[in-house]
Amino acid sequence: MQQSSWQGIKLVFRKELVVGLRFKAAWAAMLMFSLTTLACVSMALQGGTLEPRLLAALLWVILFFASLAGADRVFADEDTAGTLLALRIYGPSQAVLMGKMLYTFFLMVALAAFITPLFVLLLDVTVTAPGLLTVALLLGCGGIAAAGTLIAALTTGASVHGGLFSILMLPVILPVFLPAISLSAAAFGGGDSAGSYLVGMGLYDLILAVGASLLFDYLWYED
Amino acid sequence: MKLKQGNYLLAGIGLLTVVLLYLVFWVVPPAQGLGNYVRIAFFHIPVAWVSVLAFLMSAGWGAGYLRRRDMRFDALSAASARFGLIFVVLATVSGAVFSKLTWGAYWNWDPRQTTIFVLLLIYGAYLTLRAVMPEPTRRARVSAVYALFSFLTVPFLVFIIPRLFFSLHPSPVINGSGSVAMEPVMLATLLVGLLDATLIYAWLVRKSVSGRDKEVLA
Repeated sequence: MQQSSWQGIKLVFRKELVVGLRFKAAWAAMLMFSLTTLACVSMALQGGTLEPRLLAALLWVILFFASLAGADRVFADEDTAGTLLALRIYGPSQAVLMGKMLYTFFLMVALAAFITPLFVLLLDVTVTAPGLLTVALLLGCGGIAAAGTLIAALTTGASVHGGLFSILMLPVILPVFLPAISLSAAAFGGGDSAGSYLVGMGLYDLILAVGASLLFDYLWYED
Repeated sequence: MKLKQGNYLLAGIGLLTVVLLYLVFWVVPPAQGLGNYVRIAFFHIPVAWVSVLAFLMSAGWGAGYLRRRDMRFDALSAASARFGLIFVVLATVSGAVFSKLTWGAYWNWDPRQTTIFVLLLIYGAYLTLRAVMPEPTRRARVSAVYALFSFLTVPFLVFIIPRLFFSLHPSPVINGSGSVAMEPVMLATLLVGLLDATLIYAWLVRKSVSGRDKEVLA
């Protein structure tokens, strides 16, 4: 990658981080959503034990829906604030996309780092393969970031926003979601998990990132 | 002239449908193990095929719009998705009925059921996106991008999902070894069904887009 492109990505990432930390709306919505959902699940179970596969599915449902509370704002906030046009004029499309994707990935990793230990603690989960769980979480976050950034750009300008992001995200992210649940279940002691799932997830993450990169220019540059 | 062509196509479809019904109910023998339930397959497989074809065409016309910025491609892409949704619902329902009659449950997340359900979600998402975009040019652009982006799931649905879950679903007609595992009369009936469903889809899309053109000209 050229030096200037990398520089642009870093600048966009830094801008997102500074704005995100200053206004905190996305962070607060995401972290509180995940905490509230986890508390509901934990209270409902009343200390009861669940199968590893069910635990894995719960973890990913919490992560996925909590991510929607934060990841869908990366372009909508700019649109509301009126800064999208400035970014369009001064920012090269690929630097904007990759910078925002990197920031969403960072947001997702922070969310996973926040909620997973609490999940393990509150639901009394035995993690037999922490390395596998970490890799599955990283790859899952990568997929959500890659697809989420393009879909957040798609929904800018929609007349209705409520629920739209999740409707558009779910079919595209299922190829990451299902293997992630299988791998997490294996990490919670629920049978063996094929290494091919990891390769598959990694490949699909890459396909999503490349696809988003190829298609983003059509959204970024108006006629 | 166009109207005449459309009428010929409609007459051809009508004739083909009558031939297909005759073949399905009078010529095809009950299948080993499935009995008369096999007749559902001659409805289910063609509508499932058109569900996938309509998705491919919708993405293809979406790509056409992005290249040429011609709203006609957008209209074709939207029409293909609208009718694709109807076909995918028919495929899901007929598949669930077949599943209940042969395996005892309407739904068990069989790989092919998962695939068709994901397709249903994609069609739903695509049409929702179109519904919430008020500005026509932006609507055309974002829906084309989404159609192409969701197309990325195809390799996963075709190659990965069948390896993730155990399946009771019969193998495809042309299976992994490339051989055709079907009696000649059944294969012929199936091919007639596939042609009939494809022509019905083509006629619906054509009719829908030409109707829209007339509205624009008026």
